Amino acid sequence: MAEKVTFKVFRFNPEKDKKPYYQDFEVEIRKPGMMVLDGLNQIRWEMDGTLAFRRSCREGVCGSDGLNINGVNMLSCITHISDLKPPIVIQPLPSLPVVKDLVVDLTDFMNKFFLVKPYLITYSPPPDKERLQTPEERKKLDGLYECILCACCSTSCPSYWADPEYLGPSALLNSARFILDSRDEGADERFEIINDRHGVWRCHTILNCIEACPKLLNPTEAIGELKKILIKKKF
Amino acid sequence: MKYFGSGRSGAFDWFFQRVSGIVLLVTLFLHFYVMHFAIEGPITYEKVMVRLSSPGWKALDIVFLIFAVYHAVNGFKLIIDDYVHSTVLRAVTIGLLWVMGIAFLTIGIMTIVNLRVQS
Repeated sequence: MAEKVTFKVFRFNPEKDKKPYYQDFEVEIRKPGMMVLDGLNQIRWEMDGTLAFRRSCREGVCGSDGLNINGVNMLSCITHISDLKPPIVIQPLPSLPVVKDLVVDLTDFMNKFFLVKPYLITYSPPPDKERLQTPEERKKLDGLYECILCACCSTSCPSYWADPEYLGPSALLNSARFILDSRDEGADERFEIINDRHGVWRCHTILNCIEACPKLLNPTEAIGELKKILIKKKF
Repeated sequence: MKYFGSGRSGAFDWFFQRVSGIVLLVTLFLHFYVMHFAIEGPITYEKVMVRLSSPGWKALDIVFLIFAVYHAVNGFKLIIDDYVHSTVLRAVTIGLLWVMGIAFLTIGIMTIVNLRVQS
């Protein structure tokens, strides 16, 4: 008999259920190093084909499978079952509307990402070759460019839960990624958006985003950098 | 969308919450030092009141009071900003906050200004 682990999975089908409920599944540990995603796949493929969840690359790059597992937001594909205390409670990312089971509606999250203009803005004429930067300037982008938009950070943030207008750690980290880029010339128009009650000033340094980020980034620090630049500009 | 009565970005609130916090921290340690180390024990009413009645200390106390009231009121304002989304309720709570802040400031300043050693 192989070892089994209990998965307590959040279920909600808006067409059938009045209220969400939790369903227990016994996941069989068939090989060492099984990830939570392997367990979810086992449930969908062998026990209950109606379980809805997102996944794609299964190696922590696509950012599809951000889930709330045992109360902490993380990616199911890079989280070992053996690292978690059973029963493993799996919920959709907090505060976002549930589409079905573990699938949430990310429209609002993505709109906030687009709002900070997450692309290179330039006004000076392009040089003959590519726009160059020094290794030091490039180094400033480490810890910013790696964001995979899994929404783990933003949906772990109490300020994000409380204020539906708050841009959230992810969008702000991505704005910092371009504001601190030596090649970018759109800092002022981005500051106009993030220098707002629902922008950087809504961050109360609760630090949940740091714990949640599966890529080990530090959105709070990035927001702190932005605050510092804004305060220096103003005072 | 802007909330009721908030044309400002919040940068000032954020920055001066930190500034007033540092001022409070400094005055706290100053109080601790003066009360427990600089004074020759035992601490009596006379000794304390003589110090508190001097113009220099009154000025310092008023500065402390202003920063303390600002820090407290601004803190509540941030909590209201976070959790109260209804325009009417915001107007009422922030209005109450202003009334309370001004009341505390007035009572405090009156108390400090009128301090004298009573026999």
